[in-house]
Amino acid sequence: MAALTAAIPSAPGPAARRRGVAAVRCCSSSAADERQALFSRIAPVYDHLNDVLSLGQHRTWKRICVSWSRAKRGDRVLDLCCGSGDLAFLLSQKVGLDGQVMAVDFSSQQLQTAASRQDQRWKPCHKNIKWIEGDALDLPFVDCYFDAVTVGYGLRNVVDKPKAMREIFRVLKPGSRASILDFNKSSSLFTTSLQSWMIDNVVVPLASGYGLTEEYKYLKSSILQYLTGKELEELAKEAGFSAAKHYELGGGLMGDLERCDQNQTPEIKSGTVKYQHAGNI
Amino acid sequence: MRRTAALLLRHSVGGGAGGIPQALADALVCPLSKKPLRYCESSGSLVSDAVGVSFPIVDGIPCLVPKDGKLLDHDQEKAEDGSTKDSSYNQ
Repeated sequence: MAALTAAIPSAPGPAARRRGVAAVRCCSSSAADERQALFSRIAPVYDHLNDVLSLGQHRTWKRICVSWSRAKRGDRVLDLCCGSGDLAFLLSQKVGLDGQVMAVDFSSQQLQTAASRQDQRWKPCHKNIKWIEGDALDLPFVDCYFDAVTVGYGLRNVVDKPKAMREIFRVLKPGSRASILDFNKSSSLFTTSLQSWMIDNVVVPLASGYGLTEEYKYLKSSILQYLTGKELEELAKEAGFSAAKHYELGGGLMGDLERCDQNQTPEIKSGTVKYQHAGNI
Repeated sequence: MRRTAALLLRHSVGGGAGGIPQALADALVCPLSKKPLRYCESSGSLVSDAVGVSFPIVDGIPCLVPKDGKLLDHDQEKAEDGSTKDSSYNQ
């Protein structure tokens, strides 16, 4: 696992907010459509497979991701690419009844699963989660609204990562942070080989038992197309974060990137990006 | 049965625009224009007047993926603009 934190100037870019109506039809590439369909297909068994493939470790990594977001009671937080809602439920406990959790995903099936799980939970704080179908590249939120943003196993699947990072920056309040958890694209040959071997010989064979062979083969290619810790740090800084740091965890299979507190001023935003190596696609 | 009740509750909680929770009304904007959304009671959707696009609400979940937006034809847009039932969703 790995995590990255970054701080950036808070002034949203002057990019035009108003886009042509034509953008409605052309903004989503076929690659994004294919990924959306993939995550909808795996939705029914997603949680179960996460438990099996990570031996339950994904729960710990997600708790770490939420902790590093520094979400606290009363905060307004965003869980981007929320899937079936694991991080959103953890965040809801952090912010409590006085806080708000907005959970966004582009798969309606994943959101329906998340909403059903919410109905089955008894803690009052879990009612503070609002589910929204949305695109990480065009977030439907006002500027500078959230005290923290988390992304769990999501950024890797986004077609235009720089744009997604800019959107995260836009919706964050000055001085707040983002925590992004995902597989780590290691620069170590040993770690990369181990990761590849595990996907080919453990993950895909297990997923094939659910008829999801091709879906989980996507995992390997998505990691190959992802960014290393250094590249992610650069990405965060280019998006406007004033500082960004990526940490590898779990013997290089995971990592963490943290922000620099001294850079936090009213003019600065910060973010944390975390990456981990196993468990989810 | 339980699921339906939960959905109805989600629709009614909060007293925000058109039965949408107030928390959402404060935070949401059009994903394309970043301008305010307007809740259209007749269609049960969120309308972005800035780009003339309507976004559906399915089972209480706003669907604000840009490609899911539906272009409003001119007459429909005018009719909705004149509707007294519609409520401003986000100012």
